[in-house]
Amino acid sequence: MKKSIMTSACVFVLSAFLLGAAPAGRTEGVFEQPILLTSAGQSADVQLANVLIKKAGLSCTLGKLAADKDLEGHKTLILVLGASLKGLGAAGLDMAKENARVEGLLAAAKAKNIPLLCLHLGGADRRGQTTDEMTAAYLPQARMAIIVKSGNQDGFFTKICQSHNIPLVEAEKTIDAADPIKKAFK
Amino acid sequence: MVVAANPLAAEAGLEMLKSGGNAVDAAVAACFALNAAEPFASGLGGGGWMLIYLAKERRATVIDYRERAPAAAHPRMYELDGKVQQAWREAHGLAVAVPGAPAGWALALGKYGTRTLAEVSRRGAEIAERGFAVSATFSAINKDEYEKILANAGEETCFLNQGIPFEPGEAFKNPDLAGTFRLLAEKGVGEFYKGQTARKIVEAVRAKGGVMTLEDLASYEAREVTPLRGSYKDFSLVTIPPPSSGGVHAIQLLNILENWPLRDWGQNSPVLIHHVAEALRFVFADREKYLGDPDFLSIPVEGLCDKASARRIAQRILPDRVLGDYPYSTFDAHRPGGNTTHLCVIDREGNIVSLTQSINLFFATGIVPEGTGVLLNDMMDDFSENPGSINAPNSRRRPLSSMAPMILLKKEEPFLVLGSPGGTRIFSTLAQIILNVVEFGMSLDEAIEAPRFFSYSVRGKIRPLAIEPRLAEETQAALRKLGHELAVKEAYDKYFGGAQGIMILRDKKLLLGGADSRRDGAGAGY
Repeated sequence: MKKSIMTSACVFVLSAFLLGAAPAGRTEGVFEQPILLTSAGQSADVQLANVLIKKAGLSCTLGKLAADKDLEGHKTLILVLGASLKGLGAAGLDMAKENARVEGLLAAAKAKNIPLLCLHLGGADRRGQTTDEMTAAYLPQARMAIIVKSGNQDGFFTKICQSHNIPLVEAEKTIDAADPIKKAFK
Repeated sequence: MVVAANPLAAEAGLEMLKSGGNAVDAAVAACFALNAAEPFASGLGGGGWMLIYLAKERRATVIDYRERAPAAAHPRMYELDGKVQQAWREAHGLAVAVPGAPAGWALALGKYGTRTLAEVSRRGAEIAERGFAVSATFSAINKDEYEKILANAGEETCFLNQGIPFEPGEAFKNPDLAGTFRLLAEKGVGEFYKGQTARKIVEAVRAKGGVMTLEDLASYEAREVTPLRGSYKDFSLVTIPPPSSGGVHAIQLLNILENWPLRDWGQNSPVLIHHVAEALRFVFADREKYLGDPDFLSIPVEGLCDKASARRIAQRILPDRVLGDYPYSTFDAHRPGGNTTHLCVIDREGNIVSLTQSINLFFATGIVPEGTGVLLNDMMDDFSENPGSINAPNSRRRPLSSMAPMILLKKEEPFLVLGSPGGTRIFSTLAQIILNVVEFGMSLDEAIEAPRFFSYSVRGKIRPLAIEPRLAEETQAALRKLGHELAVKEAYDKYFGGAQGIMILRDKKLLLGGADSRRDGAGAGY
């Protein structure tokens, strides 16, 4: 009986560790402008990010199909996670081409020491196998992440951020993400 | 009773009935309310068809207010360097056809209603002004169309909440639309086609690359046309004629289905779905070959609605495998023929309105003329992108539609009032609902909610069979075995439309409303 209680307690502590709050870390004054904003998956959420960045009093260069050469002159790369078949189709891309573009861009940013801020703004509606696969591949490379809470009901983002020591900020609603974006910049 | 795609619209129609208005008054009041409460699907900036049944005269008539291409339209208007620009067809000034809704609503009201435009638009104006809490459906559609709205209506538009899509429960208001309703109530619909609203429309369309002129708007007229009639077994069917393909093909499809023992096969059984899907593929081959604007083309309506011709199609369909190729029908002679919301109304006198209208894709072009609150349609996308097609865009032509508001009559008395949005899926959806009621004895609500499927052909070649995954796993496996490639949609997918209907049970003195949970449909009666 005692052993069973101990086991339960350990499971509880482990769950709290895995699913609980994001790791401590700086979430304010982390990044600098100029910002290059792009999408991973070509969803319309990249436009949402563009509007939120403006609301945060910041400015950015929006390049839905940004490539490594577009990093020139920028001090932060923002990647908006979210796959959309409609968006990919409109851009004339498939997932293989989109992944190749994003991977190339992230590698170039790393080489130039440009930090990455990942956003997931679509909430629960913008989860799915393709988005999750992209998130699993790219989020670990971020210095910080800001997400809309309803997209993290299963702790998916928390788990990734926890295991890679990435500070994670959850916004209650999409519009609320403007504030942490503002604070994340010097 | 009023059944519409939004509860506020159903209530607006009901209010009109309770205050002594007839079915046409209530339908037009519901149209204004729908424009305010479901702005992404229909409104002043779009068009449609109103099928009216006049109980005392025991006759039906149709008000056709389909949009019309601007005079400067031509078959290659969407090409750039020889390549069709899809965005121009959907979210650009070139996508906007001359709206027909204000003229159609006014014509119906003037000829068959009893109330003024001011009276029927009042409730819609109040809804637009006071606002309402956004539903999950509104929010999801708003998010889906965000990019287009942002690009064409801008960050400050009322169709976004501070530049961001609406979340469920947030308040949506459109005071500019209320102002436009009041302007039309005061000055008449001539204001929309020849007044300051017309100037704002042309300015907005041309600022986004369109070719519409003041003359295009001023010369638009809605018209009254003769309904199309067909039958299914012991039931008669009254519906709308071209340039909607929906009525013609609903009749053609039902004529084909009459040849099979559907009741023995069972509702949504693999053998039934297989045969209906194959029939749909033949129907679409004919649609592509023959349907367009009857003002400019000779459409073989009689041939397409002919029972013998349908029997020949039924005989070609194999029970054990898909055909893969679906040639169009041939007829001895061509004789000239006579994204959307649906609502049904029946009044105390037994007058009926079955109405389907649209602005095409959800949130249409996203273009909103300044200060009007009106979303302009992207109905030009209903023209074929093939410049050689008989449905290619051209000067002042009306694009082909699939809308099919209909009334099913039993012993020549109205029995089922029915319609649905859903683009090219409309007549397939309506035929399935009719089968569910007539062959399988379902209630209207069960018939509307039952899992749906759809297929078609392009240039005679097979396309996948779209299904709702509520169909049994064994059914899906059996369909794959017959050679169907399945495209599995959501459990209750808006792709298959959002049907509304009223069933009239005379012996029980009962009216049963049915509204589709694939949208925010609701019924209201007293």
